[in-house]
Amino acid sequence: MKEDLMEIICCPLDKHDLDLEVTERDDGEILSGQLTCTECSETFPIEDGIPNLLPPDMRDEAPA
Amino acid sequence: MKGQEWYQADTVAEEYEAKRFSRGGRLIDRREKQAVLDAIGPVADKDVLEVACGTGRFTVMLAERGANITGLDISGPMLQQGREKAQATGVDDHVEFMRGDAARLPFPDDHFDTVFAMRFFHLADTPAAFLAEMRRVSKEQVFFDTFNRFSTRSIYNWALPMGSRLYSRWEIDRLLDGAGLELTEANHDWLLPYGFYRKIPNELAASFRSLDTALGGTPLGEKLASVSYWNTHV
Repeated sequence: MKEDLMEIICCPLDKHDLDLEVTERDDGEILSGQLTCTECSETFPIEDGIPNLLPPDMRDEAPA
Repeated sequence: MKGQEWYQADTVAEEYEAKRFSRGGRLIDRREKQAVLDAIGPVADKDVLEVACGTGRFTVMLAERGANITGLDISGPMLQQGREKAQATGVDDHVEFMRGDAARLPFPDDHFDTVFAMRFFHLADTPAAFLAEMRRVSKEQVFFDTFNRFSTRSIYNWALPMGSRLYSRWEIDRLLDGAGLELTEANHDWLLPYGFYRKIPNELAASFRSLDTALGGTPLGEKLASVSYWNTHV
């Protein structure tokens, strides 16, 4: 994902803003990291350049 | 959601397009892409969301035409296919893929100009909730397709491994009403269902398709069509 995606996305649960923490970057592309909701503190991983904004209750039955 | 696990297997994602859209399936791919382009029109600089984008067949096509597009799907492996396709096509600077739940979209209200989903509602267990969520994040247009009840699809639907949810006209009206959407245009096609085209070689498929379009243009043909494309606005 590109950093400017942060302007669009929000927490799928309460629609509040997300904070971005980057672990790995390649050019302008964020390859891995974590998104954290500024309201409910739920975290969402960024894996292989794709943010995983599935709510936590869907992550278990849907392994990557 | 039907097929939730099936669509997330790596091997399924890798073979998905070859399996679904080779042979007679090529005609399906072409018709679906045309349906999307007809409904969404010129997309340059439009903000578009595709729900259940899978391997990005439409996502990448619209990005090539200048849309700022986001593709959302439940399946990581399917999205990786889309991401690689976007990079190979050189459109990856205005396309984004993400995993997400169509019933809880990670976007604010009224964000996109257009929100669409193809081949999605036949898998949906709670279509009203999904359509309402698509409407929530769209400020103008919502576009989707359905497989129809009382069509040739009904005949073989029971034999499919996942089955499909089929919709009557009455159910569509009720869904649109419930989501606060108005119908702009409806198109009905495919007197002969998709499964038939996927089974036959391309040379034959073209002839059957001509017959299909000719008969499908008649009032009775329209009634029996197996697929409908619904172009709606807020």
